[in-house]
Amino acid sequence: MKIRTLAAVYAASLGVPPLVAEARPVSYPGGWTVMQQNSGDASSLHIHYSPTFSDSIRLYAESNWANDWRFAGLQYNRLIKRWNMPSAQANAYFKLAAGGAQPFGGGDTRAAAFVGFATDWETRRWFLSYETRAYALGFDETAMQSARVGIAPYVGDYGDVHTWLMLEAEHQPEADEPVTLTPIIRLFYGVQLLEFGYTPATEAYRLNYIIRF
Amino acid sequence: MKTLQTLALALGLSFAVSSAALAQQSTPPAVPSVAPATETTATATLIKARVNGMVCDFCAQAVEKVFLREDAVDTVTIDLDDGTIAIILKPGQALGDERIAELVKKSGYALVSIDRTAA
Repeated sequence: MKIRTLAAVYAASLGVPPLVAEARPVSYPGGWTVMQQNSGDASSLHIHYSPTFSDSIRLYAESNWANDWRFAGLQYNRLIKRWNMPSAQANAYFKLAAGGAQPFGGGDTRAAAFVGFATDWETRRWFLSYETRAYALGFDETAMQSARVGIAPYVGDYGDVHTWLMLEAEHQPEADEPVTLTPIIRLFYGVQLLEFGYTPATEAYRLNYIIRF
Repeated sequence: MKTLQTLALALGLSFAVSSAALAQQSTPPAVPSVAPATETTATATLIKARVNGMVCDFCAQAVEKVFLREDAVDTVTIDLDDGTIAIILKPGQALGDERIAELVKKSGYALVSIDRTAA
């Protein structure tokens, strides 16, 4: 993972989304979540607050190395529908963000926005997710999508360390490698979630961290 | 057995002991039912709420946070295997079924049944 990536993200003020499938973008009423995500293509920092279990407001910043821009802004996430089943949960989310974007190498900051849709299905053993986003950056327009499948090699009790083995497929049409596959190990303990991954096509490491409080 | 479980929960034993207690709770209640709202009592009350959709630790944390904000609630123990929330009320406190349903919904999950036992 590149030091400059981390530095840029943290310096990019508040707000940014990475182009990767993320954990649930809403929490419990009054809950805060901080996400920091890094891949070879993008790095992002999210801080969100959920006034209800179905809404969250987020400060978001992203530096996108695949498409050569950075974005910072305010994002609203809405849980459109949750399906609560005896041993599974499924969700559909709508995301809308507005802020400013700047191309790498200089250039004016332009008004920018993106809209996204995400869905997931999860049991204690299996995980599936899909997300797509369309960006209007003022100087560029782009779209991307990603999907994940995961399996837990063991099912732990509440409070245990949970381990997930995941595979993420990502499609960024304008990137040098438009389609990438990333194996990921997710470790989930208490209020913290940590993911390690590696993308062979771009020879890039993935490191994501989430904490809720 | 339920008395032992109640005591274990009430005393807030260590995680290992809690896990063992939860393992003992893996047998589903014989008849999921919604009992009448409890009146104020002098003893602690154990309430087990079965919910759908609670599949991960983040889910469990959400439920814990929401229920522990209630003044009447003493402890909350989540069993993901059973999909149950074990709630122990403070002595002399009450928590009606409608309020429990509201709290489960507020947490983002779906209430299936409520079972009450005197602690």
